[in-house]
Amino acid sequence: MIATFFLLALLQIKVPDAAQFVGAPKGTPLSGPQLEQQTMVISHELRCPVCQGLAIGDSPSIMASNMKAQVRELLERGYTEEQILSYFEKSYGQFVLLKPKFQGVNALVWILPIAVLAIGFVLVVSKAKKLEVEPVHAAAEEEPADDPYLARVREMVEKP
Amino acid sequence: MTATFGRFLILASVLVSTTGAFIAYAAGAKRSPEGLRWSQRFAYAFAGLMVLATGVMEYALITHDFGVQYVAHVGSTQVPLWVTIVSLWSSLEGSILFWGFILGIYIAATTWVNRNEHQEYMPFAIGTWLSCGAFFSFLIAGPANPFLSVSPVPLDGPGPNPLLQNHLLMIIHPPMLYLGYVGMTIPFGFAAAALLRGRLGQSFLRPLRASLLLPWVFLTIAIMLGGWWAYEVLGWGGYWAWDPVENASLLPWLTATAALHSAIVMERRGVLKGWTVTLIQASFLLTILGTFMTRSGVFNSVHSFTQSSIGPTILVFLTAILLFSVILLALRIDSLEAEGRIESAVSREGMFLVNNLFFVVFTFTVLVGTVFPLVVEAIKGKQMSVGRPYFDAMVVPVGTALLFLLGVGPALPWGKTNRKEMLRALLPPLITGAIALIIGYAFGIRNAWTLVTLLFGGYAAHVTFAQMWLPLRQRLKKGDSFAPALIDAQLRRGRRRFGGYVVHAGAVIVFVAIAVSSTMRTQEEVTLARGQSTTFAGYAVTFMGTEERAEPHRQSTIARFNISKNGQPVTTMEPRMNQYAAMREPIGTPAVHSTIGRDYYLSIMNIQGDQVGLLIINMPMVGWIWGAVLLMGAGGLIALIPARRRTYVVVPESAPTIDDEAMA
Amino acid sequence: MNRTVLIIGIVIVAAIVFGLFAGLGKDPQHIDSPLVGKPAPPFALKAVNTGETIDLESLRGKPVIVNFWATWCVPCYEEHPTLVANARQLPNVQFVGVVFNDTEDKINRFLAERGSAYPTLLDANGKTAIAYGVGGVPETYFINAAGTIVAKYEGPMNTEILQENLAKAMR
Repeated sequence: MIATFFLLALLQIKVPDAAQFVGAPKGTPLSGPQLEQQTMVISHELRCPVCQGLAIGDSPSIMASNMKAQVRELLERGYTEEQILSYFEKSYGQFVLLKPKFQGVNALVWILPIAVLAIGFVLVVSKAKKLEVEPVHAAAEEEPADDPYLARVREMVEKP
Repeated sequence: MTATFGRFLILASVLVSTTGAFIAYAAGAKRSPEGLRWSQRFAYAFAGLMVLATGVMEYALITHDFGVQYVAHVGSTQVPLWVTIVSLWSSLEGSILFWGFILGIYIAATTWVNRNEHQEYMPFAIGTWLSCGAFFSFLIAGPANPFLSVSPVPLDGPGPNPLLQNHLLMIIHPPMLYLGYVGMTIPFGFAAAALLRGRLGQSFLRPLRASLLLPWVFLTIAIMLGGWWAYEVLGWGGYWAWDPVENASLLPWLTATAALHSAIVMERRGVLKGWTVTLIQASFLLTILGTFMTRSGVFNSVHSFTQSSIGPTILVFLTAILLFSVILLALRIDSLEAEGRIESAVSREGMFLVNNLFFVVFTFTVLVGTVFPLVVEAIKGKQMSVGRPYFDAMVVPVGTALLFLLGVGPALPWGKTNRKEMLRALLPPLITGAIALIIGYAFGIRNAWTLVTLLFGGYAAHVTFAQMWLPLRQRLKKGDSFAPALIDAQLRRGRRRFGGYVVHAGAVIVFVAIAVSSTMRTQEEVTLARGQSTTFAGYAVTFMGTEERAEPHRQSTIARFNISKNGQPVTTMEPRMNQYAAMREPIGTPAVHSTIGRDYYLSIMNIQGDQVGLLIINMPMVGWIWGAVLLMGAGGLIALIPARRRTYVVVPESAPTIDDEAMA
Repeated sequence: MNRTVLIIGIVIVAAIVFGLFAGLGKDPQHIDSPLVGKPAPPFALKAVNTGETIDLESLRGKPVIVNFWATWCVPCYEEHPTLVANARQLPNVQFVGVVFNDTEDKINRFLAERGSAYPTLLDANGKTAIAYGVGGVPETYFINAAGTIVAKYEGPMNTEILQENLAKAMR
């Protein structure tokens, strides 16, 4: 471990940092189980760029584990979920967000299904109203038959 | 030689299916019995050619005839025989041929079963099937021809995609999926026939329903096998990622399930005919959409193994059948409409309507989520993603609503009921629901959705069980002895009903198992040196070391872990890292230790010298999902076994004689 | 003719078919970079082959080509000779290689075998790659004299593509 730190200090004089993109941390630094939990949550909202649609939280690739490590580090430093997501968005665009933002055209992906549910509900209610009639009990339980002949055949066949 | 013969067979099948389709449509339009007989012959001929062509391809594969392009592409003298045999569906060209093979068998079998029946509809149905057959023959003859010759003939080939070689599930998953996908062509043809005729008679419901139920069973199993494969092979401990290809297989399943439900209302009440037909059409169209998604290379997926040039061809076909279906529906849907009525919205039939609404919303959400990024990129030129967090947020409530209906729907009586009766039907299952909830809480479940799932699941289980044994109870009450009553009530007379409730029982378990396994899973990432151990979720895991194994197509590093509980050895687990010649990054294969209650899952993240980075996942109830889906499939099969021959009664229009068989 | 069915049907069909047709021929692995036209994220890393420290900001005034790669990546082998040859021919352009998740000795062995003409930096935990939005290796960014990213190219580089993108950086 010490050797790794030494190596890093030697090689990495300066790397790009979230502070340049999203400013100072706006939340409180996390640690312990809370940090692990929040890292998991955010890792499942970010798309792994080298994989096929998987979240970085699910991907075994090197790139994904780098990104996960970065998420953890930013949480430790007190960045909020929103800030971290927007940091990754600055480099990768909305491509990286597995949960589309409710913004512009993209909001439609959230609205459309709910609209279909609402319209469908109205249609179902009106359809049910239209189809609803007073009960005619005797006929209801009988299986409707195509023609009287077939019904007669059935009757004959069903007799033991 | 083999290649030439194969090409000849495919060209013949293009000719046969095209001609057959024309003859069949003409026979339908003219109501010609002679024409129908000819179209049946063409249907059998098409099937024969497809079976023969597939046989030729298998022969070429097994004899390692590298003069055939497909064999040169996927064959290898280095791989075991079973891999050679399943190579037929390991790559694009072969899998399209395999599609044609299954389509041929489906068409011939359905034509034969209905050879003397439904003469009014059969010509149009055969015409539609053969049109689809013509398209796939064309695909095999042109854009995806596996029978091209190679010269000079290579001495050996590379073998099929390595990812397909590392699990036995790959032998049965694709055939199941194809049986499901291709099988949807049959109800599509029947539905198209009903629309073309402008009539959907009560007697035609049986073949319509049966032809939908069979591929539904295959598709149900196939979806589960795909998830199981991902779980066993991909190493992230999940079985469903809302990946486009997974969605593609789910979409037709959802509409087919909705159609199976609306068909029941159609049968009992004579309503929802147009709607059921629409759902059936949609199921087929979505299988073609799914094929496009898997094969076009437009979508990013962990399940896509072939990227090819047939995308545009499939898309043209998809557009054509979409337009055909929409126009046909618009023209004829009104002529199918309601002969019947329902009595009350708050009844079982009313719940079927709500059930259909939720299935449609489910389908629509998955479809929008999958296609939306493409549309946005086309309009705005900006990329976006729609992934698991979206689907989880949108679909979990819909799924929960469906589980609710799974309980409440069958509990409600058909027709109109008074308040008292209704309460008597709806209240008792609440007790079982509450018990399930309390058990879950005692096991430490705190996630609200999971607890709700347990409540509804317990409720639905109670209702399902009560409904399942209702006919038996009635028999016993009448004084029948147990064994004959059981067989007669459940497996002979009430087979469809019983099968349906077996499916429901399986579905309840699937719901609960998905909720529990996804919210109660715990995981840990650890780095272990040789000889070091860690304790996680009740097991001690000790890293025993690694072993290198060289195989012709891959280099594997196998890590060995001893698993023990309270000092007692339990098992040895061997997750591995495979480096395939054809792939950049190594691919891990996890190791799973399954017990009844939970799975213990080890996946290697990296190996560096004597150290291994390990992902340990503890997943309760995962195994229940696979078992419960099999139960759903079994229920479907029970419902599918034809009822007593009485429904097969042949009624010739002029001569009213009764079949001997029917009398027996 | 049921108009409602027809209209709803056609709308759904049009949306799906439009989306799918638009998607044809696109590489689903491709990621558009939102950084094009924006200042290049600054970094200062030590080169494993030359030992010098390369600070991106100190390179202002001439175009910079930043190539992300790794020794375990096959297309990186393919493009390496092109990059080396062009670096030798274009003294007014600063080439920089950035390798992530790799070891120093592997990189040096790679460069010893295949030639090296420009500093190759080690991005030990991929932070620089993430800031640039790297979605796989190889990937190449073109930065103009003012320090603005003008283009991103995914996949193995050839001279023609390099010239074409470099022209944007020269403007």
